Amino acid sequence: MNWRRTLLIIALLTPGLGVIVIMIGSVFYVAVMQSFGFYNLVGEESFSLEHWQKVLDSKQFSRALRYSAYIATVAAIGSVTLAYPIAIWLRRPFRGSLVISALLKAPLFVPGLVASFLFLNVIAFHGIVNQFMMWIGVTDAPIRLQNDRGAWGVVFLQLWKNMPFALLLLTGAVQSISDEVLDAARDLGAGSFARFRKIIAPLTVQAMQAALIIIFIGAAGDFAFQVTAGPTNVQSMAQYMVFLKDSFGRWNQAAVVGVSLMVLALCGSLVLAVLSRALLRSGNRW
Amino acid sequence: MVEIAATETATATKPKNPARKVGLLNRALMVLLLTVVTIWLVVPFTMAVLWSLVDPKTGWEYPDLLPPSLTILRWVEVWTTTALPQAIANSYMLAPTVAVTTLILASPTAYCFARFDFPGKGFAQVLTLLPLVVPGFVLAIFFSSLIFSLGIYSRFLSILMAHCVLFLPYAIRIMTVSFGQVRQDLIDAARDLGARPIAVFRAAYMPALLPGILASLIIVFIQSIEEFAIAFIVGAPNFTTIPSILYSYLGYNFIRPNAAVVSLILVVPNVLLMLGLERLLKSANPAQAGGKG
Repeated sequence: MNWRRTLLIIALLTPGLGVIVIMIGSVFYVAVMQSFGFYNLVGEESFSLEHWQKVLDSKQFSRALRYSAYIATVAAIGSVTLAYPIAIWLRRPFRGSLVISALLKAPLFVPGLVASFLFLNVIAFHGIVNQFMMWIGVTDAPIRLQNDRGAWGVVFLQLWKNMPFALLLLTGAVQSISDEVLDAARDLGAGSFARFRKIIAPLTVQAMQAALIIIFIGAAGDFAFQVTAGPTNVQSMAQYMVFLKDSFGRWNQAAVVGVSLMVLALCGSLVLAVLSRALLRSGNRW
Repeated sequence: MVEIAATETATATKPKNPARKVGLLNRALMVLLLTVVTIWLVVPFTMAVLWSLVDPKTGWEYPDLLPPSLTILRWVEVWTTTALPQAIANSYMLAPTVAVTTLILASPTAYCFARFDFPGKGFAQVLTLLPLVVPGFVLAIFFSSLIFSLGIYSRFLSILMAHCVLFLPYAIRIMTVSFGQVRQDLIDAARDLGARPIAVFRAAYMPALLPGILASLIIVFIQSIEEFAIAFIVGAPNFTTIPSILYSYLGYNFIRPNAAVVSLILVVPNVLLMLGLERLLKSANPAQAGGKG
């Protein structure tokens, strides 16, 4: 009876979980093998560290790595920081809170490319931002804001797109904290910041970590925002990878960048998850 | 944004105020927030609509705050002279196929997660999230490498496969919740009354599953229409979808009015679907709670 049940479970899991594991596993395998000189579309196949060496030695790669790590960190921490106060505000329903929360979450359903386009219009020469700056007298003529070197445009777009996602996760977590717990803390004399640090943050740490990790991975692998609104003097990891593949079909080097991007996503999200927990712990010892 | 965030913390954690004061503060905050939301949603979308209606003869340039004249010429032009109709046909043929295939693939796994206990179930559930943690372009590029080496040359089939894997986590998650809501007493009652498996399914399973099925279909459909990385890398240059057309107007040659038309074609149907989805989920709940259907 038992083995029949096991077989049934395996049969049920195969079309869903099985397909996921096989497909993602193969993609990962192909990327790693290609980075070491196998699975070539043209030419000889042999083990080689040459591709790694070439990519790791290039300045473009180290700039792209630093840039993507920076954008991803700012996007993850920024989105969560902005979303927390709003989630706390919307914890208990009041008139209009549903409308507010729906409007705030709207950017979740706007595709990245469309978001970029909307943003480019707003910051155009005759866009509302330039017009406003001229109206208040900050500047006499419109300023070029597109593809700014400091990547403020990309950071803004990341926050615009990801804050709603953090809000979605945090609202659920914050709403599940019971009033009794917060009232008890208040009666014991905890101020608003202490209540956040000692009760709300520890009880919602899992949602916070999930938001940090998913936003970090998404922003580290960003292509659409960077290509349309990002600085032109630096490439993101995904952009650099596509560039290598498209220019002379340097698939092996693209694979090195792809594997490095996965390592960045993994390490970055682990660091954020561990740090957020550690910070909470040290905070509670005060 | 930063301002709102700061003010909101203040209200959210202000304890000793009487309820009326809090109500007033909430109202003030709402006015502030609505203004900000107008700026960050209404203004950008209005500008997109205006850009799609700009008259090519007069243009819309600095220092005009609004375009001098409006026309639907751009819409006609984009429709008749670009690959947009083909891209729309491709996207709207691909998305429903992806939605149905994903649902079929996800259901057995979801059923298993909801109705069976087995060692390693938690780990298996975490594993289903794999497609969400691999960066989209890494997946797209090495998936395309994989299908070349497998000798699969149909772009439609390739994108279909990749989209199904990419969106399986959503369908599995939604359907697991739905299968978990099927009531065992209804199943038992139907069986005791001598119902055949199909009748049991219709009486006990279907009412609980229906909202989940529709939600999964709609969410996967929207995701597939909007997906860019795989459609661009695997499909280019022969198989165009709406996002890849939009990218062509935003990337190498930036044609603002055309991009505006394509953006609206991409976003508006999906927003309407999303609203439909919300209504659907709300209306489905009472019947389910009462166990009727």
